[in-house]
Amino acid sequence: MKTTAALTALIATGILAVPIASASDLTVKVEGISKAQGSIMLGLFNEATYNGDGSVNGANLKVESDSVSVTFEGLAPGEYAVRLYHDLNDDGEMNTNPFGMPTEPYAFSNDAQGRFGPAKWDAAKFTVGADGTTHTITMN
Amino acid sequence: MQLSRRHFIQAGAGAGFAGAFGAGLGLSAAAESKTMPAWHLGYQNAPANGFDPAPMRLVFGKPPADLKGSLYRNGPAQLSYGDDYASHWFDGDGLIHRIAIEDGKAVHQARFVETNKRREEQAAQRFLAPGFGTLGDESFAVTSPDDTNAANTSVLVVNGELLALWEAGSAFSMDAETLETNGPKTWRDDLKGMPFLAHPKVEPNGRVWNLAVGGSHVGIYRISAQGALEDFGMVDIGRAAYIHDWTMSERHMIILVQPWINENLRPPVVAGFEWQPQHGLQMLIIDKDDFSNQRWAQAPARMFFHTGSAWEESDGTIKFDVSFYKEPVLGVGGGVSEIRGEWNKENFAEEGVLTLVEIPLSGDAKLIETGIIGEFPQVNPRYRGRSRNLVALASGATSQRPGSTALAVHNWTTGDTQSFEFGERRMVEEFLFVPKAGGQSDLDSWLVGPVLNLKTRTREICVFDAAGVNDGPVCIWQADYAWPLGFHGTWA
Repeated sequence: MKTTAALTALIATGILAVPIASASDLTVKVEGISKAQGSIMLGLFNEATYNGDGSVNGANLKVESDSVSVTFEGLAPGEYAVRLYHDLNDDGEMNTNPFGMPTEPYAFSNDAQGRFGPAKWDAAKFTVGADGTTHTITMN
Repeated sequence: MQLSRRHFIQAGAGAGFAGAFGAGLGLSAAAESKTMPAWHLGYQNAPANGFDPAPMRLVFGKPPADLKGSLYRNGPAQLSYGDDYASHWFDGDGLIHRIAIEDGKAVHQARFVETNKRREEQAAQRFLAPGFGTLGDESFAVTSPDDTNAANTSVLVVNGELLALWEAGSAFSMDAETLETNGPKTWRDDLKGMPFLAHPKVEPNGRVWNLAVGGSHVGIYRISAQGALEDFGMVDIGRAAYIHDWTMSERHMIILVQPWINENLRPPVVAGFEWQPQHGLQMLIIDKDDFSNQRWAQAPARMFFHTGSAWEESDGTIKFDVSFYKEPVLGVGGGVSEIRGEWNKENFAEEGVLTLVEIPLSGDAKLIETGIIGEFPQVNPRYRGRSRNLVALASGATSQRPGSTALAVHNWTTGDTQSFEFGERRMVEEFLFVPKAGGQSDLDSWLVGPVLNLKTRTREICVFDAAGVNDGPVCIWQADYAWPLGFHGTWA
């Protein structure tokens, strides 16, 4: 499945500031999805946006099998990271238990894992080169 | 009612039982480590694959004909990798035992709970996960409490489902027959990953109540006898107190907010606790039918791990039994040295004292201290939450080693205490009440529990008549091997 990212609420910040010159494509594949329901809510970040609220780009990907993919076009070559969660009930939120722990699956690029918090930028970052890149994330 | 450790030692000398069996059974002390004291047997690793079902031999007495069921137990059983010891006794991987008893025969088997922690550490053959007393390796990912879940504290059987319990993460579902691990238990989708305390309270009708503790925020589970979550609510207990256990009467839950506070629950967790006796021991009393209907009661500062059970008098006074310490023990210094074979009695002088807490409808609570030392208080499960006579404890102590030496049963109605002293060479663990068929009071019960025989280096399962503990065991089965000390069990 290939989905071209639409301009969603997730990309409200950042994207228009990205220079168009020497643009690259990034395809993100998400595999190992446990339930064919809901949506993968995916955000693409650079170092400046990774620990904040904004993202460079993003996509809401309907889940109909155990994998989804998306291609972001026109990215400036450089370092990026992906954070995503599986919105099982399509309520648009990452659901948590009463103590604030996520109850919906989530993942980071490089399959990076956190230690008492989200994965760090250094663990999740990857390079998008001038010729484009495909990056695969496997859900736990 | 005033009993001391000396009483138990004298009682043991009088019983004349300690040497009556066990000698000449074929397993000698020759296998004892040259560098470790004999009692360190209780802190050694179990085989990685656990123990396949093996019959135990009847070595004493006659098993009760009506004693039929399984004693399930849990405890840390991976306490070293090579020369590297676990940082704390509470952080060893849980080993689930089943001692199936029927027709006078006992069969033992055991399996480790296959947690994420155990899988990763077994693969690496070293300790990685942070824990109660363990900082953990920086490389070990922690994305939820269950990544560090040791599943090592207790067990619960609900509607035939066996659960291995920890206190800071999910219960682990196990196969009650084979002891194979199914995985973390989610009671409801929105409660995935919520902690499930290792001391659930089971009403005589089978309904289960338990807590989820996260600092000062405490969740309350109500689970039907059929294993379905009926209700979940949240209460605020004001302080991030150490909560390992709590208690419950027919109508109320009582959460003991002891003044051992940790506002920063980062590993090693134990390092973050601070004793703040100026707060005293505060108790939050919650109406089981309406969690918002609460009141507080105040008592002098005490530390505790375990309660017996609570009941209410006709005037509304709540009473419960508990093993109280004057200040924190074990979690701080103990639990570290023993697993390395080190024992300095001077460092561990404080023993838990069986205490009755009386909470009037208004005013401060009263503590009635019996002078009986002991831990792992247990009551007859048919009388949980209700007025009763007996509480049983692993009791007695010796300057020669950690752990208990005796079984004691105190009768709150008569004030009498019966005890059986096993002697220095048997380490005594938690004994459970198993009601006799057709029993008319809580005295009509067997007491079933494990003992570690340091002389033969084997395990024993002992049965007593709860009404006649002074008379010694009714029967004893012995395994051909030892397994390490555990924490808690259940009978199903």
